[in-house]
Amino acid sequence: MSDTGDVIAARPSVGQRLENSIGPLLSLLVALAIALVAGGAIIIGYGESPAVVYGAILDFALTGDGPGYVLAIATPLIFSALAVAICFKAGMFNIGVEGQYLVAMVTATWAALNLGFLPGPAHVAVILLFAMIGGMIWAAVPGVLKVTTGAHEVVITIMMNGIAISFVNWAVNNPLKFTEAAAGTNVDLRSDRFPDTALIGDLGGLFGYRSAAKMSWLLILAIVVALIVWLLMKRLRLGYEARAVGSAPGSARAGGVSIGAVQIKLFLISGALAGFVGMQQLLADKGYLPGNYLAQLGFTGIAVAFLGQNNAIGIIFAAVLWGVLSRGESALQIRTDVPREFVIILQGILILAVVIVYQIAKRRLARRQLQRAGAEERALEAAAAVAAGTAATVSEPDNGTSDEANA
Amino acid sequence: MPLTDLGAALGIALTYFTIIYLTGLGGLFSERSGIVNIGLEGLMIIGTVTGSWGTFFFTSSPEAGGMGWGMPWGPIMGLAVGAGCGALLAGVHALATITFRVDHIVSGVVINLVAVGLARFLSQIFFGQATQSDPGQPHLSTLDLPLLSDLPLGLGRAFSNLSPVVLVALLMVVPTTFALYRTRWGLRLRSCGENPDATRSLGVRVAPLRYQGVLLSGTLAGLSGAFLSVEVQYNWREGQTLGLGFISLAALILSNWSPIRLMGAAALFGFAQAIPLRLADAPVINLLPPQFIRMTPFVVTIIAIAGFVGKVRPPAAAGKAYEGGGAT
Repeated sequence: MSDTGDVIAARPSVGQRLENSIGPLLSLLVALAIALVAGGAIIIGYGESPAVVYGAILDFALTGDGPGYVLAIATPLIFSALAVAICFKAGMFNIGVEGQYLVAMVTATWAALNLGFLPGPAHVAVILLFAMIGGMIWAAVPGVLKVTTGAHEVVITIMMNGIAISFVNWAVNNPLKFTEAAAGTNVDLRSDRFPDTALIGDLGGLFGYRSAAKMSWLLILAIVVALIVWLLMKRLRLGYEARAVGSAPGSARAGGVSIGAVQIKLFLISGALAGFVGMQQLLADKGYLPGNYLAQLGFTGIAVAFLGQNNAIGIIFAAVLWGVLSRGESALQIRTDVPREFVIILQGILILAVVIVYQIAKRRLARRQLQRAGAEERALEAAAAVAAGTAATVSEPDNGTSDEANA
Repeated sequence: MPLTDLGAALGIALTYFTIIYLTGLGGLFSERSGIVNIGLEGLMIIGTVTGSWGTFFFTSSPEAGGMGWGMPWGPIMGLAVGAGCGALLAGVHALATITFRVDHIVSGVVINLVAVGLARFLSQIFFGQATQSDPGQPHLSTLDLPLLSDLPLGLGRAFSNLSPVVLVALLMVVPTTFALYRTRWGLRLRSCGENPDATRSLGVRVAPLRYQGVLLSGTLAGLSGAFLSVEVQYNWREGQTLGLGFISLAALILSNWSPIRLMGAAALFGFAQAIPLRLADAPVINLLPPQFIRMTPFVVTIIAIAGFVGKVRPPAAAGKAYEGGGAT
């Protein structure tokens, strides 16, 4: 492990560590402030008070059954954000969580309907296993193609998403289509209902939340999985290798890391995690595969991963924050004149602000670390500054941001 | 197999061709300038909702709160509004990727996410409901292509009752090819996508050209979306783009970023869209579930990217933040 550890960097000092962790948190807070202010302007446009509207959102999320609803929304997002983050650590972008979880819902539904002879907990475990396998199969394609042919994973996963949508549509129309509906009754397109052994129990009841909130034991699984991912990334060999591949592939290869193997492993793990995304919907909420299933969870997971800045623990909090906002839609509808769609705008501004603020902060931090580095780097930077200075005088005489570009 | 079905299928294919080609051309301008744009779907979505609103607003009488420009200016303005709003949202992508140097994929994903919510929000403001506008909105009068629409055996149906926008899309290849390959601007735009350092060393500023490329992509994708809601379906509905932005991206890749080859790819994928709608009962095809036919654009593109049928090569500098020079 130590040889790959050297590849990345020497262990940072306490001060640097503090800076590394406070920086992202600070930029997140700045982004949140930007979103709230911009959202406030929209609220005022509707003739409402921002304090009242934001208060209603918080009230709905934190009081009564609110936390149950919030955590039920957060559960699948934790899984999908983790799936995105684990690839991101190695510099890969898994846009395909969306398709991976859709396929996983199909494999899991098959297991739920056909393996009912298994005793309760075993049945659920096998369903989850099938979900993981479904997600892994779908994730293996971009992973293997990237390593063997160099095909960019973003494009392949986008295509795999397109295929997955048609695949689920085919499955729910053909092999998985319901058989139980009596003749003459009009039932929305869906699969048969799962046997009770396939369902995941309610957890919210322990905290006094009503079962309609659908907060389930999957939340505990999500948190455990997040901790495992955190451990994997920070403490295990694969995590070091992943970060090495992501930050300095050349050095990683020189350090004896098989880049292709790491990339495929991470894609498979990512796919397995994506497999869990649809389970809240199938096993805790509906109890069948609906034809008009809840889509977009994979894409939302990307947003949550950004918010959590690809840190497994950060993702848990980011998913809860997203859940608080989403739950706020009901608050707006019931308590205010602002349309519920305002929340989606707020989430959109938030995520835009996060990526931009984080990017700026990252550059600032990198520049400061560069300045702090030894004389060798200082000489290098001086040379770069001279080069950029001359270039700037040639084409862009008055450019306030050119110093940032040299960071 | 009755040829009338084939004629009808070809007609539908032409409609889808228009959507895929316009959006694909948008992606082409952006990526040729060096900015990867996977937000095409989102740009189209904004085009659909704002195009629909623009049509209502400019057509309906002043008493009804509109401009009362009537026909055909109402729908034309609707298309223009869709294109303009697509460009506005693309401006966000440009700002993020060019000025703030956010990763192109990250920004594109965000554009797609934001667009879905923004469309609902705008729809709520425009139409008082979040997921659709009232049906039966005015559209441009259709036209028949001379000669082709008289083809026998029902094949003429493919070329009758076409939206004028279809013609625009079919002719678009000429100005696009000219602009990209025969003008100084086109050479510079392409050089930004291939080797921005070389561009800059010649005293040409990279960022403005990239802004133009991205804004053009938003204009064309927005126009494409507006065409879908204004000229094809006569109202806005949530999710009506049906992933066509991603299919356009697939066509763009398959075309190897060439406007002429993009016509072929868009025609192929457009026809694939029409098969389940009109030719599902045709021999051979009836053996395949329609969902499998809908997969074909994506499968074909994966095969092409993986290099099994010749290699596709994106612009060399596409997707890389350009660090040289200032942000402006």
